[in-house]
Amino acid sequence: MRIATAKQTYLADEALFDTRTQHVWLALLAASLVLFPFFANAYWLYLACLVAINIASATGLNILTGYTGLVSLGQAAFMGLGAYTVAVMELHLGTPVLLNLLAGGIVAMLGGLLVGIPSLRVKGLYLAISTIAASFIAHFIFANWQFTGGTSGLQVPPARVLGMDLDTSFKIYWLIVPVTVLMVLGAANLFRTRIGRAFIAIRDRDISAEVLGIRLLRYKLLSFGLSSFYAGVAGGLWAYFFRVVTPESFPLIMSIFFLAAIIVGGMGSILGSILGAIFMTMVPEFLKLVVGWLPVGGDALRLISPVRTIVFGLLIVGFLIFEPHGLAEIWRRVRRFFHLWPFRT
Amino acid sequence: MKRIRIGSGLSRLLAPLGLAAALAAAPAAQAAEDLVLGGSIPLSGVFAFAGQGIHAGITDYVKIINDQGGIKGRKLRYVPEDTAYKVDASVAAFKKITSQNKVNFYYGDSTGFSKTINAELNRTGDILMTGASFATELNDPAKYPAQFMLGPDYTEMFGILLRYIAKEQPGAKVAFVYSDTEFGRDPIASSRAVAEKLGLKVATEIMTPPGSVDVSTEVIKLRRADPDFTIFHGYVLAPIPEFVGQGKRMGLKTRYMGTFWTMDNSTVMQMGEDAEGFMGVMPYRYYYDQAADAPMLKKIREMRPQYQSTGYMQGFLAAMLFSEVAKRTLDAGKDLTAANMKAALDGIKDFDTGGLIGVPITIKGNSIPVGRIYRADVKQKQMVPASDWIVLK
Repeated sequence: MRIATAKQTYLADEALFDTRTQHVWLALLAASLVLFPFFANAYWLYLACLVAINIASATGLNILTGYTGLVSLGQAAFMGLGAYTVAVMELHLGTPVLLNLLAGGIVAMLGGLLVGIPSLRVKGLYLAISTIAASFIAHFIFANWQFTGGTSGLQVPPARVLGMDLDTSFKIYWLIVPVTVLMVLGAANLFRTRIGRAFIAIRDRDISAEVLGIRLLRYKLLSFGLSSFYAGVAGGLWAYFFRVVTPESFPLIMSIFFLAAIIVGGMGSILGSILGAIFMTMVPEFLKLVVGWLPVGGDALRLISPVRTIVFGLLIVGFLIFEPHGLAEIWRRVRRFFHLWPFRT
Repeated sequence: MKRIRIGSGLSRLLAPLGLAAALAAAPAAQAAEDLVLGGSIPLSGVFAFAGQGIHAGITDYVKIINDQGGIKGRKLRYVPEDTAYKVDASVAAFKKITSQNKVNFYYGDSTGFSKTINAELNRTGDILMTGASFATELNDPAKYPAQFMLGPDYTEMFGILLRYIAKEQPGAKVAFVYSDTEFGRDPIASSRAVAEKLGLKVATEIMTPPGSVDVSTEVIKLRRADPDFTIFHGYVLAPIPEFVGQGKRMGLKTRYMGTFWTMDNSTVMQMGEDAEGFMGVMPYRYYYDQAADAPMLKKIREMRPQYQSTGYMQGFLAAMLFSEVAKRTLDAGKDLTAANMKAALDGIKDFDTGGLIGVPITIKGNSIPVGRIYRADVKQKQMVPASDWIVLK
């Protein structure tokens, strides 16, 4: 069991990962992330990249919804803004990849700030509805502006890093995963700072937060801006990954996907965003694998496929019933078990 | 004091993933001789009615060709994956199937997927692809050299409809009603030009949201324009029944027409009485067609006693053309690369589809620009031919 973890300096107390076991596991994680592409085939690499992009975006949404309590259904729209910015810059300006991603994040951030303004007057479900407007406005702009390619969208040339085209999943993995890791670490660190604590205070009771001296205007907009920056960078990575951006690539259902990811994963925790994104991306594929193992022929596949969708929905409902705080709470419970063993409580 | 510490951390999650990856990395052992037809098929989701038909069509033709001994002694193997009509699931299915099999042919479920996977297709250069999409953009052999479509593209479909209208009623007024999606907007701009060239007047263009239920304002707009013909595009069924029903009640005298995906017998007949006279363009014969020169249709009816949709016909044709391309490429002693297979496809002239399409077909560019106007006959509950087979030059 875990004992004797008393800290002697404030710095040590603030550390994200404080025990040696955690350091060992983190080292193993880093090693497996580095070694994974050399052992995985194209399918698993594709899924890994997709999961990483979803983790980045879900982390952004968790900052906004999980930590600041501002429900948003505009995440896909901000991803779209980032993706289109990257696509346009790559096509017309040919600027370096990292600059494009940064620009994508900034454009999405500006969009987020705009959409966040109603948050000062409306709360909860009503804010969620007003953020849906972001989806429709973004779709309208993308579909009707010739600069963004209209309804047929834009074809993005592959990202060019050090003279090499990142045109396979193996190559682009080395762009997507480090960027995602940086973003996740950034988000985790955010909640050790005053800004992060202000977000949490706003979520818990925003009137009290204002009384305590946290300026709601500033911090709510900051939360929107930060979350949409994350979405913008994730959208930019999405553009480089899929190489085609159309107005229909970022529908409202994608925002719902991310909201579901953080609810199932656990709102208000970075681990929750990671687990939720992995769950939402991998479970449908995993169910396909399970169906593939069943000893049935091609015609049965036809009938089982819709059943798979039902099972996925039931899994989401099941997780929410049995663990309303999400997968992160299940993780923490397992961890607590091992920390306290051989004691129970 | 001895401390037992079980670590925690994010790494615990990814270790099993890495293990699974290592296990999956070894490709499945398969006979090197098999020709593989991979498919991203929408077996569930919004497009499931078509996907189920496409799946059945491909399966049946693959069975027919294998029963005949395969293609030059090599069996054709069909490897489908369900995508629920989502682009990222389609791409995942593509990657999964291509990493586990040496794929020669692929069927894609949507325009979005066809565009997304194009770069990968051109990079690997060993797969010939077709799909459910008839998007005008894909009919470009320079930009999409490894892809083709199983019929006329949407602009060509509009062209066939407009030519029919121009012949029936020269100088008629036409209205375009389309959905606000890439699918819906695809042929509108170019068809405007075609209509003008044929001397037809485009009375109005009405765009509706894709999932719209209430179209009363649009029907009023249509009534104000008072067209002679109204062409729907970008829908499967809804909101066409609303348009037709409300239009009839308002006394609209216009005749209604649709493009490929609105023309399946089962969807049109769902309109009930209002379906009478609904017309449209269809490149294939319908399941129940008793034409004498259609041995394949007879065979299909033997294999499947119940009605099969137009999606089935499309899947069947896909497998048929793939088999023909494989045969021609192997006959010429060439390797099965995308370039060689596309060249073989381009060389297909006056090919007999066994009656699936009423005339022998020739591939032009990336499409097969042939079709026939059909009309709904509610009494017979069937779509019946209203014109001869039209081949666009």
